[in-house]
Amino acid sequence: MPRIPTRVILDAYRHDRLLPLLLRECRSINSAKNELRWLRERAVSIAHSKSTNRAATLLKSMCRARSRGVPLQYILSDQPFGELDILCKRGVLIPRADTETFTSHAASLISRDILKIGRPRDETPTAPLRIIDLCTGTGCISLLLHALLAPRVQQMSIVGVDISATAINLARRNLIHNVQRGSLSDRAMTDITFRPENVLQDVSRSSVAMESQQLNVVISNPPYISTESFTDGTTTRSVRIPEDIFYYHILSLSFNLKAGLVVLECGDRLQGRRVAALCNTLAQKYSRMDGLHVTVWPPANQGLDGSPPEDIEPCIVILHRTGSN
Amino acid sequence: MFRPLHLTPYLRSSLLNPRPIPTPRLFSLSALSLANKALPPRLKIEDADLTIAYLKGTGPGGQKINKTNSAVQLIHKPTGVVVKCQATRSRSQNEKYARQLLADKVEQLLHGDQSRAAIKLDRARKKKASKMKKSRRKYRDAEDGKEGSQAEEDDVDEVDDLSENGDRLTKEQSPRQSPDRQQGHASDGAQG
Repeated sequence: MPRIPTRVILDAYRHDRLLPLLLRECRSINSAKNELRWLRERAVSIAHSKSTNRAATLLKSMCRARSRGVPLQYILSDQPFGELDILCKRGVLIPRADTETFTSHAASLISRDILKIGRPRDETPTAPLRIIDLCTGTGCISLLLHALLAPRVQQMSIVGVDISATAINLARRNLIHNVQRGSLSDRAMTDITFRPENVLQDVSRSSVAMESQQLNVVISNPPYISTESFTDGTTTRSVRIPEDIFYYHILSLSFNLKAGLVVLECGDRLQGRRVAALCNTLAQKYSRMDGLHVTVWPPANQGLDGSPPEDIEPCIVILHRTGSN
Repeated sequence: MFRPLHLTPYLRSSLLNPRPIPTPRLFSLSALSLANKALPPRLKIEDADLTIAYLKGTGPGGQKINKTNSAVQLIHKPTGVVVKCQATRSRSQNEKYARQLLADKVEQLLHGDQSRAAIKLDRARKKKASKMKKSRRKYRDAEDGKEGSQAEEDDVDEVDDLSENGDRLTKEQSPRQSPDRQQGHASDGAQG
Protein backbone atom coordinates (compact mmCIF):
# COMPACT_ATOMS: atom_id res chain seq x y z
CA MET A 1 0.00 0.00 0.00
CA PRO A 2 1.52 3.38 -0.96
CA ARG A 3 2.32 5.77 1.84
CA ILE A 4 0.04 8.80 2.23
CA PRO A 5 2.05 12.00 1.69
CA THR A 6 2.49 14.10 4.84
CA ARG A 7 1.09 17.06 2.97
CA VAL A 8 -2.21 15.25 2.42
CA ILE A 9 -2.37 14.29 6.10
CA LEU A 10 -1.74 17.91 7.10
CA ASP A 11 -4.42 19.13 4.72
CA ALA A 12 -6.81 16.60 6.19
CA TYR A 13 -5.95 17.70 9.74
CA ARG A 14 -6.54 21.32 8.82
CA HIS A 15 -9.96 20.41 7.47
CA ASP A 16 -10.98 18.34 10.48
CA ARG A 17 -8.96 16.89 13.32
CA LEU A 18 -10.57 13.47 12.89
CA LEU A 19 -9.95 13.24 9.17
CA PRO A 20 -6.39 11.80 9.32
CA LEU A 21 -7.79 8.84 11.26
CA LEU A 22 -10.21 8.02 8.46
CA LEU A 23 -7.52 8.65 5.85
CA ARG A 24 -5.69 5.56 7.07
CA GLU A 25 -8.41 3.33 5.71
CA CYS A 26 -10.00 5.50 2.99
CA ARG A 27 -6.69 6.47 1.34
CA SER A 28 -8.22 9.49 -0.40
CA ILE A 29 -9.27 12.75 1.13
CA ASN A 30 -12.61 12.91 -0.67
CA SER A 31 -13.82 9.52 0.47
CA ALA A 32 -12.54 10.29 3.98
CA LYS A 33 -14.60 13.49 4.00
CA ASN A 34 -17.70 11.58 2.87
CA GLU A 35 -17.25 8.94 5.54
CA LEU A 36 -16.70 11.56 8.21
CA ARG A 37 -19.92 13.27 7.16
CA TRP A 38 -21.89 10.02 7.37
CA LEU A 39 -20.33 9.11 10.72
CA ARG A 40 -21.08 12.57 12.10
CA GLU A 41 -24.69 12.42 10.92
CA ARG A 42 -25.10 9.10 12.71
CA ALA A 43 -23.34 10.23 15.89
CA VAL A 44 -25.56 13.31 16.11
CA SER A 45 -28.71 11.28 15.49
CA ILE A 46 -27.76 8.75 18.18
CA ALA A 47 -26.85 11.44 20.72
CA HIS A 48 -30.02 13.40 19.82
CA SER A 49 -28.18 16.70 19.81
CA LYS A 50 -25.28 18.42 18.18
CA SER A 51 -23.82 20.30 21.09
CA THR A 52 -23.32 17.62 23.70
CA ASN A 53 -20.01 15.99 24.35
CA ARG A 54 -21.69 12.67 23.87
CA ALA A 55 -21.90 13.04 20.11
CA ALA A 56 -18.27 14.16 19.94
CA THR A 57 -17.05 11.23 22.04
CA LEU A 58 -19.10 8.83 20.00
CA LEU A 59 -17.78 10.25 16.76
CA LYS A 60 -14.22 9.99 17.97
CA SER A 61 -14.59 6.34 18.95
CA MET A 62 -16.27 5.60 15.59
CA CYS A 63 -13.35 7.21 13.73
CA ARG A 64 -10.85 5.24 15.83
CA ALA A 65 -12.61 1.98 14.95
CA ARG A 66 -12.59 2.97 11.29
CA SER A 67 -8.85 3.70 11.41
CA ARG A 68 -8.29 0.18 12.71
CA GLY A 69 -9.92 -1.17 9.54
CA VAL A 70 -13.42 -1.88 10.82
CA PRO A 71 -15.77 -1.48 7.83
CA LEU A 72 -17.94 1.63 7.90
CA GLN A 73 -21.06 -0.54 7.53
CA TYR A 74 -20.22 -2.47 10.69
CA ILE A 75 -19.71 0.78 12.61
CA LEU A 76 -22.99 2.24 11.38
CA SER A 77 -24.53 -1.27 11.47
CA ASP A 78 -26.51 -0.82 8.28
CA GLN A 79 -26.16 -0.35 4.55
CA PRO A 80 -28.71 0.89 2.00
CA PHE A 81 -29.43 -1.70 -0.67
CA GLY A 82 -31.80 -0.49 -3.34
CA GLU A 83 -34.79 0.87 -1.45
CA LEU A 84 -34.05 -1.45 1.46
CA ASP A 85 -32.03 -0.88 4.57
CA ILE A 86 -29.87 -3.91 5.34
CA LEU A 87 -28.51 -4.38 8.85
CA CYS A 88 -24.87 -5.46 8.96
CA LYS A 89 -22.99 -7.29 11.63
CA ARG A 90 -19.51 -8.57 12.14
CA GLY A 91 -19.18 -12.07 10.74
CA VAL A 92 -21.50 -11.55 7.79
CA LEU A 93 -20.32 -10.02 4.50
CA ILE A 94 -21.67 -6.57 3.67
CA PRO A 95 -23.91 -6.13 0.60
CA ARG A 96 -22.29 -4.10 -2.17
CA ALA A 97 -23.70 -1.72 -4.76
CA ASP A 98 -22.63 -4.07 -7.58
CA THR A 99 -24.84 -6.80 -6.17
CA GLU A 100 -27.67 -4.27 -6.11
CA THR A 101 -27.25 -3.71 -9.86
CA PHE A 102 -27.00 -7.45 -10.54
CA THR A 103 -30.09 -8.20 -8.46
CA SER A 104 -32.21 -5.67 -10.33
CA HIS A 105 -30.95 -7.13 -13.61
CA ALA A 106 -31.91 -10.60 -12.38
CA ALA A 107 -35.36 -9.30 -11.42
CA SER A 108 -35.87 -7.90 -14.91
CA LEU A 109 -34.74 -11.23 -16.42
CA ILE A 110 -37.17 -13.11 -14.20
CA SER A 111 -40.09 -10.92 -15.16
CA ARG A 112 -39.18 -11.13 -18.84
CA ASP A 113 -38.38 -14.81 -19.24
CA ILE A 114 -40.17 -16.68 -16.51
CA LEU A 115 -43.18 -14.56 -15.75
CA LYS A 116 -43.37 -13.48 -19.39
CA ILE A 117 -44.68 -10.08 -18.41
CA GLY A 118 -45.61 -7.94 -21.36
CA ARG A 119 -46.43 -10.92 -23.52
CA PRO A 120 -50.06 -11.39 -24.44
CA ARG A 121 -50.40 -15.18 -24.39
CA ASP A 122 -50.42 -15.83 -20.66
CA GLU A 123 -51.24 -12.86 -18.48
CA THR A 124 -51.06 -14.45 -15.08
CA PRO A 125 -48.62 -17.26 -14.43
CA THR A 126 -50.46 -20.00 -12.62
CA ALA A 127 -47.56 -21.79 -10.95
CA PRO A 128 -45.96 -20.01 -8.01
CA LEU A 129 -42.51 -18.56 -8.62
CA ARG A 130 -39.85 -20.40 -6.65
CA ILE A 131 -36.46 -18.81 -6.05
CA ILE A 132 -33.54 -20.14 -4.05
CA ASP A 133 -30.75 -17.80 -2.93
CA LEU A 134 -27.62 -19.71 -1.95
CA CYS A 135 -25.08 -18.13 0.38
CA THR A 136 -27.55 -15.42 1.25
CA GLY A 137 -25.52 -13.71 4.01
CA THR A 138 -27.51 -10.67 5.10
CA GLY A 139 -30.40 -11.87 2.94
CA CYS A 140 -30.09 -8.78 0.76
CA ILE A 141 -30.67 -10.51 -2.61
CA SER A 142 -33.75 -12.38 -1.42
CA LEU A 143 -35.25 -9.27 0.11
CA LEU A 144 -34.54 -7.01 -2.86
CA LEU A 145 -35.91 -9.60 -5.32
CA HIS A 146 -39.10 -9.76 -3.28
CA ALA A 147 -39.35 -5.98 -3.18
CA LEU A 148 -38.92 -5.77 -6.96
CA LEU A 149 -41.12 -8.71 -7.95
CA ALA A 150 -43.94 -8.59 -5.38
CA PRO A 151 -46.03 -6.01 -7.31
CA ARG A 152 -46.06 -8.30 -10.39
CA VAL A 153 -46.26 -11.80 -8.94
CA GLN A 154 -49.26 -13.33 -7.21
CA GLN A 155 -47.52 -16.24 -5.57
CA MET A 156 -43.87 -16.68 -4.85
CA SER A 157 -41.54 -18.25 -2.39
CA ILE A 158 -37.94 -17.33 -1.83
CA VAL A 159 -35.62 -19.49 0.23
CA GLY A 160 -32.36 -18.04 1.47
CA VAL A 161 -29.67 -20.55 2.42
CA ASP A 162 -26.48 -19.98 4.37
CA ILE A 163 -24.23 -22.18 6.45
CA SER A 164 -23.70 -19.55 9.13
CA ALA A 165 -26.22 -19.30 11.94
CA THR A 166 -25.17 -15.67 12.48
CA ALA A 167 -26.03 -14.90 8.87
CA ILE A 168 -29.40 -16.64 9.06
CA ASN A 169 -30.32 -14.78 12.23
CA LEU A 170 -29.26 -11.49 10.68
CA ALA A 171 -31.21 -12.24 7.49
CA ARG A 172 -34.35 -12.91 9.55
CA ARG A 173 -33.81 -9.67 11.45
CA ASN A 174 -33.41 -7.86 8.14
CA LEU A 175 -36.68 -9.29 6.89
CA ILE A 176 -38.55 -8.05 9.95
CA HIS A 177 -36.69 -4.72 9.94
CA ASN A 178 -37.61 -3.97 6.33
CA VAL A 179 -41.23 -5.04 6.72
CA GLN A 180 -41.51 -2.72 9.73
CA ARG A 181 -39.89 0.07 7.74
CA GLY A 182 -42.46 -0.38 5.02
CA SER A 183 -39.94 -1.12 2.29
CA LEU A 184 -41.22 -4.68 1.99
CA SER A 185 -44.87 -5.70 1.80
CA ASP A 186 -46.39 -7.72 4.64
CA ARG A 187 -46.57 -10.89 2.56
CA ALA A 188 -42.76 -11.00 2.54
CA MET A 189 -42.99 -12.45 6.06
CA THR A 190 -44.58 -15.63 4.65
CA ASP A 191 -42.98 -15.58 1.19
CA ILE A 192 -39.37 -15.46 2.34
CA THR A 193 -37.73 -18.08 4.53
CA PHE A 194 -34.14 -18.42 5.63
CA ARG A 195 -32.61 -21.71 6.64
CA PRO A 196 -29.18 -22.95 7.63
CA GLU A 197 -27.77 -25.43 5.10
CA ASN A 198 -24.32 -26.31 3.82
CA VAL A 199 -24.08 -25.59 0.10
CA LEU A 200 -20.84 -27.56 -0.20
CA GLN A 201 -22.43 -30.76 1.02
CA ASP A 202 -24.98 -32.47 -1.13
CA VAL A 203 -27.81 -29.98 -0.78
CA SER A 204 -29.87 -31.75 -3.43
CA ARG A 205 -30.67 -34.47 -0.93
CA SER A 206 -31.42 -32.05 1.88
CA SER A 207 -34.72 -30.52 2.85
CA VAL A 208 -34.40 -27.43 0.65
CA ALA A 209 -34.16 -29.45 -2.54
CA MET A 210 -36.91 -31.88 -1.59
CA GLU A 211 -39.40 -29.10 -1.20
CA SER A 212 -38.27 -27.15 -4.23
CA GLN A 213 -39.25 -29.50 -7.00
CA GLN A 214 -40.54 -26.82 -9.33
CA LEU A 215 -37.65 -24.50 -8.80
CA ASN A 216 -37.47 -21.59 -11.24
CA VAL A 217 -34.45 -19.57 -10.24
CA VAL A 218 -31.16 -20.23 -8.51
CA ILE A 219 -29.37 -17.02 -7.59
CA SER A 220 -26.14 -16.78 -5.65
CA ASN A 221 -23.42 -14.39 -4.66
CA PRO A 222 -21.05 -16.86 -3.04
CA PRO A 223 -17.83 -15.79 -1.34
CA TYR A 224 -15.62 -15.67 -4.41
CA ILE A 225 -12.13 -14.58 -3.49
CA SER A 226 -9.89 -16.95 -5.41
CA THR A 227 -6.78 -18.39 -3.79
CA GLU A 228 -4.40 -16.32 -5.89
CA SER A 229 -6.27 -13.06 -5.22
CA PHE A 230 -6.10 -13.92 -1.57
CA THR A 231 -2.33 -14.00 -1.54
CA ASP A 232 -1.35 -11.46 -4.21
CA GLY A 233 -2.13 -8.43 -2.07
CA THR A 234 -5.21 -7.16 -3.94
CA THR A 235 -7.57 -8.15 -1.14
CA THR A 236 -8.17 -5.89 1.84
CA ARG A 237 -7.71 -7.25 5.30
CA SER A 238 -11.37 -7.17 6.31
CA VAL A 239 -12.53 -9.75 3.72
CA ARG A 240 -9.85 -12.43 3.76
CA ILE A 241 -11.77 -15.66 3.30
CA PRO A 242 -10.40 -17.77 0.44
CA GLU A 243 -13.25 -19.35 -1.54
CA ASP A 244 -13.38 -20.42 -5.15
CA ILE A 245 -15.07 -23.77 -4.75
CA PHE A 246 -18.70 -22.79 -4.50
CA TYR A 247 -19.50 -22.57 -8.19
CA TYR A 248 -19.09 -26.28 -8.91
CA HIS A 249 -21.47 -27.22 -6.12
CA ILE A 250 -24.02 -24.56 -6.91
CA LEU A 251 -24.06 -25.47 -10.59
CA SER A 252 -24.45 -29.20 -9.98
CA LEU A 253 -27.29 -28.43 -7.63
CA SER A 254 -29.04 -26.23 -10.19
CA PHE A 255 -28.70 -28.92 -12.88
CA ASN A 256 -30.14 -31.47 -10.47
CA LEU A 257 -33.04 -29.19 -9.64
CA LYS A 258 -33.62 -28.30 -13.32
CA ALA A 259 -33.72 -24.58 -12.64
CA GLY A 260 -34.77 -22.41 -15.57
CA LEU A 261 -32.53 -19.50 -14.66
CA VAL A 262 -29.28 -19.46 -12.72
CA VAL A 263 -27.58 -16.20 -11.79
CA LEU A 264 -24.11 -16.28 -10.21
CA GLU A 265 -22.00 -13.32 -9.22
CA CYS A 266 -18.27 -13.57 -9.94
CA GLY A 267 -15.37 -11.48 -8.71
CA ASP A 268 -13.88 -10.57 -12.08
CA ARG A 269 -14.39 -11.37 -15.73
CA LEU A 270 -11.66 -13.99 -15.70
CA GLN A 271 -13.51 -15.88 -13.00
CA GLY A 272 -16.73 -15.26 -14.94
CA ARG A 273 -15.30 -16.98 -18.00
CA ARG A 274 -14.03 -19.80 -15.82
CA VAL A 275 -17.49 -20.32 -14.35
CA ALA A 276 -19.12 -20.12 -17.80
CA ALA A 277 -16.78 -22.85 -19.04
CA LEU A 278 -17.64 -24.92 -15.99
CA CYS A 279 -21.34 -24.51 -16.85
CA ASN A 280 -20.82 -25.99 -20.29
CA THR A 281 -18.78 -28.91 -18.93
CA LEU A 282 -21.39 -29.72 -16.31
CA ALA A 283 -24.24 -29.36 -18.80
CA GLN A 284 -22.61 -32.05 -20.94
CA LYS A 285 -22.14 -34.24 -17.91
CA TYR A 286 -25.80 -33.93 -16.98
CA SER A 287 -26.68 -34.08 -20.71
CA ARG A 288 -28.82 -30.97 -20.43
CA MET A 289 -27.40 -28.97 -23.30
CA ASP A 290 -30.76 -28.43 -25.01
CA GLY A 291 -31.69 -24.75 -25.22
CA LEU A 292 -29.04 -23.71 -22.73
CA HIS A 293 -27.54 -20.25 -23.02
CA VAL A 294 -24.59 -19.20 -20.89
CA THR A 295 -23.82 -15.47 -20.87
CA VAL A 296 -21.62 -13.13 -18.90
CA TRP A 297 -23.25 -9.82 -17.98
CA PRO A 298 -22.49 -6.93 -18.41
CA PRO A 299 -21.50 -7.79 -22.00
CA ALA A 300 -17.87 -7.34 -23.01
CA ASN A 301 -18.57 -4.45 -25.38
CA GLN A 302 -20.72 -2.40 -23.03
CA GLY A 303 -20.28 -2.06 -19.30
CA LEU A 304 -22.59 -0.46 -16.75
CA ASP A 305 -21.29 3.02 -17.48
CA GLY A 306 -21.23 2.72 -21.27
CA SER A 307 -17.52 1.99 -21.53
CA PRO A 308 -16.24 -1.58 -21.91
CA PRO A 309 -15.96 -3.26 -18.50
CA GLU A 310 -12.51 -3.89 -17.14
CA ASP A 311 -11.34 -7.38 -16.33
CA ILE A 312 -11.11 -6.60 -12.63
CA GLU A 313 -14.78 -5.62 -12.34
CA PRO A 314 -17.31 -8.09 -10.93
CA CYS A 315 -19.82 -9.64 -13.31
CA ILE A 316 -22.63 -12.20 -13.34
CA VAL A 317 -22.86 -15.48 -15.20
CA ILE A 318 -26.39 -16.21 -16.39
CA LEU A 319 -27.57 -19.70 -17.32
CA HIS A 320 -30.77 -19.45 -19.16
CA ARG A 321 -32.77 -22.30 -20.53
CA THR A 322 -35.31 -21.58 -23.24
CA GLY A 323 -38.27 -23.81 -23.74
CA SER A 324 -38.15 -25.67 -20.43
CA ASN A 325 -40.15 -23.09 -18.52
CA MET B 1 -46.55 22.13 1.08
CA PHE B 2 -47.06 25.83 1.52
CA ARG B 3 -50.31 25.61 3.39
CA PRO B 4 -48.86 25.54 6.91
CA LEU B 5 -46.62 28.44 5.96
CA HIS B 6 -49.64 30.29 4.68
CA LEU B 7 -51.47 29.84 7.98
CA THR B 8 -48.65 30.89 10.26
CA PRO B 9 -49.42 34.64 10.39
CA TYR B 10 -52.99 33.89 11.45
CA LEU B 11 -51.98 31.31 13.99
CA ARG B 12 -49.33 33.44 15.55
CA SER B 13 -51.46 36.58 15.76
CA SER B 14 -54.38 34.67 17.26
CA LEU B 15 -52.11 33.07 19.82
CA LEU B 16 -50.46 36.30 20.84
CA ASN B 17 -53.51 38.53 20.78
CA PRO B 18 -56.65 37.15 22.35
CA ARG B 19 -58.87 39.50 20.36
CA PRO B 20 -59.49 38.48 16.78
CA ILE B 21 -58.03 40.60 14.02
CA PRO B 22 -60.58 41.43 11.39
CA THR B 23 -58.28 42.37 8.53
CA PRO B 24 -55.43 40.18 7.40
CA ARG B 25 -51.95 41.55 6.85
CA LEU B 26 -52.04 42.70 3.31
CA PHE B 27 -48.33 43.09 2.79
CA SER B 28 -47.41 39.67 4.10
CA LEU B 29 -50.10 38.05 2.04
CA SER B 30 -48.70 39.48 -1.12
CA ALA B 31 -45.31 38.09 -0.29
CA LEU B 32 -46.82 34.71 0.47
CA SER B 33 -48.85 34.58 -2.68
CA LEU B 34 -45.59 34.92 -4.56
CA ALA B 35 -44.31 31.81 -2.83
CA ASN B 36 -47.64 30.06 -3.27
CA LYS B 37 -47.62 30.27 -7.00
CA ALA B 38 -46.67 26.83 -8.25
CA LEU B 39 -43.24 26.47 -9.75
CA PRO B 40 -43.09 25.22 -13.29
CA PRO B 41 -42.83 21.42 -13.33
CA ARG B 42 -39.39 19.87 -13.30
CA LEU B 43 -38.08 18.91 -16.71
CA LYS B 44 -38.52 15.22 -17.54
CA ILE B 45 -35.32 13.69 -18.82
CA GLU B 46 -35.57 10.60 -20.98
CA ASP B 47 -33.50 7.59 -19.94
CA ALA B 48 -32.27 7.25 -23.52
CA ASP B 49 -30.54 10.64 -23.27
CA LEU B 50 -28.64 9.67 -20.15
CA THR B 51 -25.35 7.99 -19.49
CA ILE B 52 -25.24 6.68 -15.94
CA ALA B 53 -21.87 5.88 -14.46
CA TYR B 54 -21.27 4.44 -11.02
CA LEU B 55 -17.93 5.83 -10.02
CA LYS B 56 -15.84 3.17 -8.38
CA GLY B 57 -12.43 4.70 -8.31
CA THR B 58 -9.44 2.67 -9.32
CA GLY B 59 -8.12 -0.68 -8.22
CA PRO B 60 -9.71 -4.04 -7.58
CA GLY B 61 -13.43 -4.23 -6.88
CA GLY B 62 -15.92 -6.87 -5.90
CA GLN B 63 -15.71 -8.62 -2.58
CA LYS B 64 -11.97 -8.00 -2.50
CA ILE B 65 -12.31 -4.54 -1.13
CA ASN B 66 -14.89 -2.89 1.05
CA LYS B 67 -15.78 0.24 -0.86
CA THR B 68 -18.10 2.82 0.52
CA ASN B 69 -18.17 4.88 -2.64
CA SER B 70 -21.71 5.20 -3.90
CA ALA B 71 -21.18 8.14 -6.24
CA VAL B 72 -23.36 8.41 -9.31
CA GLN B 73 -22.48 10.48 -12.36
CA LEU B 74 -25.06 11.38 -14.96
CA ILE B 75 -24.27 12.77 -18.38
CA HIS B 76 -27.02 14.32 -20.45
CA LYS B 77 -25.96 13.38 -23.95
CA PRO B 78 -27.75 16.08 -26.02
CA THR B 79 -26.39 18.99 -23.96
CA GLY B 80 -23.29 17.44 -22.44
CA VAL B 81 -24.23 18.50 -18.91
CA VAL B 82 -22.47 16.40 -16.26
CA VAL B 83 -23.75 15.97 -12.71
CA LYS B 84 -22.18 13.99 -9.87
CA CYS B 85 -23.83 13.07 -6.59
CA GLN B 86 -22.32 11.46 -3.50
CA ALA B 87 -24.74 12.81 -0.91
CA THR B 88 -25.87 9.54 0.66
CA ARG B 89 -24.54 6.02 1.10
CA SER B 90 -27.31 4.66 -1.10
CA ARG B 91 -26.58 4.43 -4.80
CA SER B 92 -30.24 4.53 -5.78
CA GLN B 93 -30.85 7.58 -3.59
CA ASN B 94 -27.83 9.32 -5.12
CA GLU B 95 -29.17 8.55 -8.56
CA LYS B 96 -32.49 10.17 -7.68
CA TYR B 97 -30.78 13.34 -6.41
CA ALA B 98 -28.49 13.41 -9.43
CA ARG B 99 -31.50 13.22 -11.76
CA GLN B 100 -33.10 16.19 -10.01
CA LEU B 101 -29.90 18.19 -10.19
CA LEU B 102 -29.45 17.32 -13.83
CA ALA B 103 -33.03 18.28 -14.70
CA ASP B 104 -32.50 21.67 -13.04
CA LYS B 105 -29.21 22.26 -14.80
CA VAL B 106 -30.46 21.25 -18.23
CA GLU B 107 -33.56 23.37 -17.82
CA GLN B 108 -31.50 26.38 -16.83
CA LEU B 109 -29.40 25.86 -19.93
CA LEU B 110 -32.47 25.64 -22.15
CA HIS B 111 -34.79 28.23 -20.64
CA GLY B 112 -32.43 30.57 -18.80
CA ASP B 113 -34.40 33.00 -16.63
CA GLN B 114 -37.67 31.17 -17.18
CA SER B 115 -36.34 27.92 -15.69
CA ARG B 116 -37.49 26.42 -12.41
CA ALA B 117 -34.17 26.89 -10.67
CA ALA B 118 -33.88 30.51 -11.79
CA ILE B 119 -37.43 31.30 -10.63
CA LYS B 120 -36.75 29.68 -7.28
CA LEU B 121 -33.56 31.69 -6.85
CA ASP B 122 -35.31 34.86 -7.92
CA ARG B 123 -38.07 34.35 -5.37
CA ALA B 124 -35.60 33.72 -2.59
CA ARG B 125 -33.75 36.88 -3.55
CA LYS B 126 -36.94 38.96 -3.62
CA LYS B 127 -38.04 37.58 -0.27
CA LYS B 128 -34.70 38.46 1.26
CA ALA B 129 -34.75 41.92 -0.28
CA SER B 130 -38.22 42.65 1.09
CA LYS B 131 -37.17 41.37 4.51
CA MET B 132 -34.15 43.62 4.49
CA LYS B 133 -36.23 46.53 3.38
CA LYS B 134 -38.72 45.94 6.15
CA SER B 135 -36.10 45.68 8.86
CA ARG B 136 -34.38 48.78 7.56
CA ARG B 137 -37.65 50.68 7.60
CA LYS B 138 -38.36 49.50 11.12
CA TYR B 139 -35.06 50.67 12.53
CA ARG B 140 -35.27 53.91 10.63
CA ASP B 141 -38.68 54.56 12.16
CA ALA B 142 -37.37 53.68 15.60
CA GLU B 143 -34.42 55.97 15.24
CA ASP B 144 -36.48 58.70 13.66
CA GLY B 145 -35.54 62.20 14.76
CA LYS B 146 -32.76 61.00 17.01
CA GLU B 147 -29.62 59.72 15.46
CA GLY B 148 -30.63 59.69 11.81
CA SER B 149 -28.95 56.95 9.89
CA GLN B 150 -27.03 55.64 12.90
CA ALA B 151 -29.23 52.55 13.18
CA GLU B 152 -28.45 51.41 9.71
CA GLU B 153 -24.75 51.51 10.38
CA ASP B 154 -25.16 49.90 13.77
CA ASP B 155 -23.70 46.55 12.80
CA VAL B 156 -20.82 48.06 10.96
CA ASP B 157 -19.91 50.17 13.97
CA GLU B 158 -19.78 47.24 16.34
CA VAL B 159 -17.53 45.20 14.15
CA ASP B 160 -15.31 47.65 12.35
CA ASP B 161 -15.00 50.83 14.33
CA LEU B 162 -12.40 49.94 16.91
CA SER B 163 -11.48 53.47 17.78
CA GLU B 164 -12.22 54.51 21.35
CA ASN B 165 -14.58 57.10 20.16
CA GLY B 166 -16.73 54.67 18.28
CA ASP B 167 -16.67 52.16 21.11
CA ARG B 168 -17.85 54.66 23.63
CA LEU B 169 -20.54 55.83 21.29
CA THR B 170 -22.06 52.38 20.88
CA LYS B 171 -21.80 51.63 24.59
CA GLU B 172 -23.51 54.84 25.50
CA GLN B 173 -26.14 54.27 22.94
CA SER B 174 -27.09 50.73 23.69
CA PRO B 175 -29.23 51.28 26.81
CA ARG B 176 -30.93 54.20 25.17
CA GLN B 177 -31.56 52.25 22.04
CA SER B 178 -33.16 49.14 23.43
CA PRO B 179 -36.50 50.57 24.61
CA ASP B 180 -36.84 52.27 21.28
CA ARG B 181 -36.33 49.00 19.51
CA GLN B 182 -38.91 47.27 21.63
CA GLN B 183 -41.34 50.05 20.92
CA GLY B 184 -40.62 49.55 17.29
CA HIS B 185 -41.46 45.87 17.55
CA ALA B 186 -44.67 46.49 19.40
CA SER B 187 -45.87 49.18 17.04
CA ASP B 188 -45.09 46.98 14.12
CA GLY B 189 -47.08 44.12 15.57
CA ALA B 190 -50.08 46.29 16.31
CA GLN B 191 -50.06 47.85 12.94
CA GLY B 192 -50.08 44.53 11.24
